[in-house]
Amino acid sequence: MATPEIKKKADLKVIILGEYSVGKTCFVNRYIEGKFGKTEATIGAAFFLKQWGPYNVAVWDTAGDERFSGLSSFYCRNAGAAILAFDLCIENTFETLKSRFVPLVDQATEDNCLKVIVGTKLDLLEPSKRKVTVDEARKYSREINPNIEYAKLKHDPYFETSSLQGINVDEVFEYIFGHCLPLSDVERIKMKNKTRGTVDLGESTAMTPEKKGGCC
Amino acid sequence: MSIKAFDLVPAIERIKLMSDKAKTQIECFDVCGKNLYIGTNDCFVIHYNVEERPVGNGPKVVFHNEKQGHKYLAVKKPVIQIKAASALNRIMVLIDNTLSLLNMFDLEICVALKKKQIQVYTVTEDKLVHVKDVHISEPAISVGVDGSFVCAALLSQYCMINYETSHTQDLFPFDSEHSKPLIKRISKEEFLLSGPSALGMFVTSDGISQRPPLQWSENIVSMTYVHPYIVAMNDEFITVHSILDQQQKQAIPFQGGTYLGNFDGKLFVASGREIYALVPVAWEKQVQALLGDKRVTEALDLAKNANKAGLTRDKFLKIFKRFQQQAAFIEFSEGHLEEAMDLFKNSQVDVREVISLYPRLLPSNCNFTRSVPPLHEMADVNQLSRGKEDLLKEYKQFLCTYLADIKGTGTGYKQVRNRYSVVKTICRDRLPELIPLIAVDTGCDLKDSVEWLEKYKRYNALGLLYKVHGEHDKALALWVKICNSEVEDESFEGINFIIEYLANLNDHELVWKYVDWVLSKDQENGVRIFTDRPTTEPPSERMRPDTVIDYLHRFPIAVITYLEYLVFQKKLEVEKEKYHTHLAVLYLDAVLKLIKTNNVKKEEMDKARSKLRYILQMSNLYRVQLILGKAKETEMHAECAILYGKLEEHDKALRILVHKLKDFGAAENYCLVNSHGKDSSFRKRLFHILLSVLQSLPENWSVSLVSQFLNRAIRKSMNNSRTTRIERMMSRGENLQVKQNIIEIQKEFVTMNDDRMCAVCSRAFNDTAFVRYPNGVVTHVHCAKNKHICPVTGKLFSTKRS
Repeated sequence: MATPEIKKKADLKVIILGEYSVGKTCFVNRYIEGKFGKTEATIGAAFFLKQWGPYNVAVWDTAGDERFSGLSSFYCRNAGAAILAFDLCIENTFETLKSRFVPLVDQATEDNCLKVIVGTKLDLLEPSKRKVTVDEARKYSREINPNIEYAKLKHDPYFETSSLQGINVDEVFEYIFGHCLPLSDVERIKMKNKTRGTVDLGESTAMTPEKKGGCC
Repeated sequence: MSIKAFDLVPAIERIKLMSDKAKTQIECFDVCGKNLYIGTNDCFVIHYNVEERPVGNGPKVVFHNEKQGHKYLAVKKPVIQIKAASALNRIMVLIDNTLSLLNMFDLEICVALKKKQIQVYTVTEDKLVHVKDVHISEPAISVGVDGSFVCAALLSQYCMINYETSHTQDLFPFDSEHSKPLIKRISKEEFLLSGPSALGMFVTSDGISQRPPLQWSENIVSMTYVHPYIVAMNDEFITVHSILDQQQKQAIPFQGGTYLGNFDGKLFVASGREIYALVPVAWEKQVQALLGDKRVTEALDLAKNANKAGLTRDKFLKIFKRFQQQAAFIEFSEGHLEEAMDLFKNSQVDVREVISLYPRLLPSNCNFTRSVPPLHEMADVNQLSRGKEDLLKEYKQFLCTYLADIKGTGTGYKQVRNRYSVVKTICRDRLPELIPLIAVDTGCDLKDSVEWLEKYKRYNALGLLYKVHGEHDKALALWVKICNSEVEDESFEGINFIIEYLANLNDHELVWKYVDWVLSKDQENGVRIFTDRPTTEPPSERMRPDTVIDYLHRFPIAVITYLEYLVFQKKLEVEKEKYHTHLAVLYLDAVLKLIKTNNVKKEEMDKARSKLRYILQMSNLYRVQLILGKAKETEMHAECAILYGKLEEHDKALRILVHKLKDFGAAENYCLVNSHGKDSSFRKRLFHILLSVLQSLPENWSVSLVSQFLNRAIRKSMNNSRTTRIERMMSRGENLQVKQNIIEIQKEFVTMNDDRMCAVCSRAFNDTAFVRYPNGVVTHVHCAKNKHICPVTGKLFSTKRS
């Protein structure tokens, strides 16, 4: 599990926060490695480097456990975007975002930090069990980003995802990068060509189904 | 996932302290070169001389120590911290909130006070100069310094302070009552701190983190950094983490440790009564150990980041490449073929090492033995694949791709004689990699390769092989066979390949041998054998145009193409007349043939005639009379007109154009074309002849009838002419205006003073006259040899006068 050398300065720092065991590490792993697997509880924080066109993006996965709260705000510093994750099946995790993590991000980052609300474990959600309505979450995601120009975004910063099935995971990061590190057309084509060369054909679950609800 | 990164070696055992009481304990120490200073809990500073001596020839060392002296500081409090400042010959000692300076060698003393806020002092030999105070919210317990940044542990949190700007940034909360705050500067603007939950936190002076935290054991009492390892200690263990992947690499049991430190690359550890050295295991050994555990990525990461002290770049690369090779074979044996491929290529491994893994591939006469010490412990791919056909096939495919990719450039490749054996493997699976490999590799033994290639019907590849070996005849014969569908090989590109091949073949006899066959197949393209010859090819008797034309008689299309090539492209200097006439006659023949046949499409006819007219008009070299005679017979008036023009019989020409063809536009055009480049009187004469058209007016028309038209026509022409002249003059005026503007814009002063030297001879100007070139170069008048060429830059200036 070697992390790449981090001598180069990252062009964007993305941090993922949320209550203990809402699936933050799974979410990041699904994006970085394209696979779903069991994870251990994160100690302190973990770090990944991702290429986005000509840019380096540092993705920081934090520990959700409350005893690491102090560290989370430290790791938040200078983040350009924050992914605020909650478990779609557990109402409480949404409330913690409001009470603990959003204030934490607001305090540690600049005003223009993009905050994206991400509901996880969509695959486990039965319609009858839904506690947080799409409208409610969407409205909240809009409230916490008072300084973001919505004209530049495709939709509100709210996603419902499944790391198991790979639903909406890449979309979250592309949404963030599209806002924070817009690529020129040339760079976009270059990157597409690059990624095309390394499609993992063996990994059939990586083929994400078309966007289902949650996305506006 | 452990690795042995350090050996624990005793340095000073059983310190003999002054008071010999059992209670005396080491509190802290510092090392400076061979000098080791110990601070004890009963207020002694003891000075030792410690020397590292190798045991035998091996990498093992022992430490020899000798006590140099001691000093009792008479406060009866423990020495908290000790620091040697070798540049000043002083050691600094912190006891009971008091910082003292001792002389390094006779342990003298001077005293300064330290208070609760953060104070910055400059230390000189005999005094401390107070630089600055920074007020902080709580008392600081521990600090680390890098440039103007002070990282401080306060009672409840860490913070980063810039003492120059007094800017303080909070880092993260920390409970200093229950665990010991530790701060270590590990590189420029980066500190390592002991964080909550036994985390090792990296912090830059900007107050952010660029590395994930380390997970330590509880109650770390001391830690240090020696690239690429973080060494930390609690009361039971010394643990070693890699800064590269933040994982723990080694744990050494060590009871009662109090302090450890990195002193100019040497690591020492103190327990209560003893001091040990942590001797790093050579990085090569560590890498080797990792490779032994098949931890390839870790091994190569470590090798890349290892402390290469004492190694030149070349030497290091050599070692590194060997590690890469070993890694490559490990990946190979694990079936990670993609990784193995990259590593094989990057490490430039001897190709034979790889080939030798394939049984019976290396020919018996290739006296290759695997490298010693061995790069791997595999017998061959059969052993690896354990009878699994799929796997074996994959390995074979791997070798093919590998050999094709390195294109015969790999180390040791040249030495593989009879590389046909390699070809054999490839044939067996009929892999498409074959063709590029054969096409670039001269090393395949011809005879055996031929057999194999024939057996597996790889005829095109066989042709390429012949080509590489210079056996052009055989190669061509083979390709002809493929073309004639006598044998089949769909990878062959077709007849154009042969044509191109022949066009570039400098064995002209051989070319002639195949020309017949090619032309009879495709004369239109086949003629490229003669027209597309390399420009650098020396002329030869067999390729003389005459010879070629004589030969080409049988092929009407080819001969025309060839003549076109000679006339329009090559523009031969000698014997031009012959070819031009020949081409004109052929064009003419073609037209005549079309005339004779019925139902010829108009376009086809026009095309043929325009070709003919083009050469008649363009060339001045053909025999006009000959063509004219033929043209007259068939009433080809347009052509006749051109031919008369060539003979300067303009009245005849114009008569044809006007009376026969009634194409007045063409007649006018004729006058313009034929007078082109000649003086105006000639042009007048031509148009005069053209005026003879007046004769075609009916006899019975009266003059007055025509005069009105003629008057108007002439007036109109006059008007045109005058308007044009006015326009021309106005344009000229405008041009002058623009030129004047340019001069206005570009003009600048030339200051002539004593310092000004001639740009050519570098001597001073004694005369009032000088020359200035448009690009600003100033010279003597006599140094300006040519006013259009700058004597310094050689720039050419326009010779035109405005």
